[in-house]
Amino acid sequence: MVRALSLMGQLGYGYNRDSFLRGMSEGVDFIGVDAGSIDSGPYFLGSGNMKANYDATRSDLEFPLVTALNKKIPFIIGSAGYAGGDVHLSKFMEIVEDIAKDNGIHLKVCVIHSELDKNVVLKLFREGKVKSYEGNPPLDEADILSSTHIVAQMGVKKFLEALDLGADLIVAGRATDASIYAAYPLMKGCDPSLVWHMAKIIECGALCAKPASPSDALLGWIDEDAFYLKPPNEMRRCTVDSAMAHALYENTNPFVIEEPDGTLLLENAKYEQFDERTVKVYGAEWRERKNPTFKIEGAKFSGFRTIALMGVRNPDMIELLDDILDDIRDEAEKMFKTNFKLTFRQYGKNGVLSDLEFDNRLHEIGLVVDVVADEQKVAHKICSVVKSRLQHYDYKGRVATGANVAFPYSPAEIDMGEVYEFSVYHLVDEDLNRYFTVEEIEL
Amino acid sequence: MRLKEAVKVLRSKNAGVWHITIDIVFKNSELYEIAKTKLTKELFCELFNRNELEYFQCDSINTLKVSFLREQAAGSLKDTDCLGANFYIPLMEIEI
Repeated sequence: MVRALSLMGQLGYGYNRDSFLRGMSEGVDFIGVDAGSIDSGPYFLGSGNMKANYDATRSDLEFPLVTALNKKIPFIIGSAGYAGGDVHLSKFMEIVEDIAKDNGIHLKVCVIHSELDKNVVLKLFREGKVKSYEGNPPLDEADILSSTHIVAQMGVKKFLEALDLGADLIVAGRATDASIYAAYPLMKGCDPSLVWHMAKIIECGALCAKPASPSDALLGWIDEDAFYLKPPNEMRRCTVDSAMAHALYENTNPFVIEEPDGTLLLENAKYEQFDERTVKVYGAEWRERKNPTFKIEGAKFSGFRTIALMGVRNPDMIELLDDILDDIRDEAEKMFKTNFKLTFRQYGKNGVLSDLEFDNRLHEIGLVVDVVADEQKVAHKICSVVKSRLQHYDYKGRVATGANVAFPYSPAEIDMGEVYEFSVYHLVDEDLNRYFTVEEIEL
Repeated sequence: MRLKEAVKVLRSKNAGVWHITIDIVFKNSELYEIAKTKLTKELFCELFNRNELEYFQCDSINTLKVSFLREQAAGSLKDTDCLGANFYIPLMEIEI
């Protein structure tokens, strides 16, 4: 039997120390935690910044890591520093080094790199090995060249290599969430179908429990015929519904989960309530892929953003607002010959659902003026001009000549800094493991 | 009965950067079977203004699942919902 503890769904969200200790007291063979995602958008991959900062990451990592070392069990982290590029790994390792130094501990760390050199991606692209992902627009060379970072979601192979090297701590770059939890039980010879299915659910921590939480722990164990999931926190339960619903989460297909190393088929998976807070699961089927395929992710720099927030309450102006905004946009485009993108967001009207909005009730609009330009000062200037046009625009039937809109803030313009967009999200039909490196560090 | 009253879960979320996936988990098989006849692939295409989408009936777990391409990648300049977490809203009040 192999016992895994998932510390939480996302490192840096604030872990539950009591749950962690209760989980550890049941006997655990390894601890895993996912430290990243692409959920929060392209900024983190593009800029090289971590999402959870030094303090948030350190306070979730320090005690559990020291505990794992004392118990001599491996601690496995995937997608470190959020986006899992080399720069994220360096920032993450600063935290690990400080923890080791301040606690007087010694450990062997394996850092696994999965950032790809642009020339490698270009070569793969020219060889026709980079494919569209489930129908998204195909890649071109400009997308590759304009990316600041391109990473691959690694599979399980390099995690296995690091465990073989005797790592106390694995700090992996961008990785599939399931690979973090699959490596150790695969090494111990557990049934791959059970391993991958458990890994796919446990990576979210207690998000698959009721009540759900991404910042609480989850225990999972695998025996000969099934795996089991239980939250150490006694206020939560894993139920058939909660575990099953989580298997659907963030996958386009409910029955098929693609990993770099194979495909997990869930059609015949069975979920049973084992005891009040534990679910027993079996029946999924893992099909190993002969030639692994990888998802690659890239982000490019798109400029600097300045926004202004304002409220529109006058019903006559709201009635005419679309025309007013078109007019102001035309004027701005005539006035500024530089490269910029102006977006108006009308909260209260269609700010969330955009063209899919179906409710036409309206009494107040939260208007966001959003300008992205090549330089911060240019974005600021354009935003400022557009804002003042809105403030004083002489629309038909206007009776109030003070100001048309309400500003909650002074100054109204907010500089938001660098903007990034996803440039690459594609599949590669080539074994990228040869480009991933395992760096051994003794601390 | 409105859809939101018939479900345990009604959610949308990104599945990667380029896709939205909607999960509708019904309270029981009776409600699921009734809703299945009403919530057809064509209805989803119409509601979400898509020519093509993936539509799954998961009978064993009383669940409908629908996935489709985004207009643009999550977090792009014109994107309004970086997590893709609000695409279930047009479904909430549908009479089943």
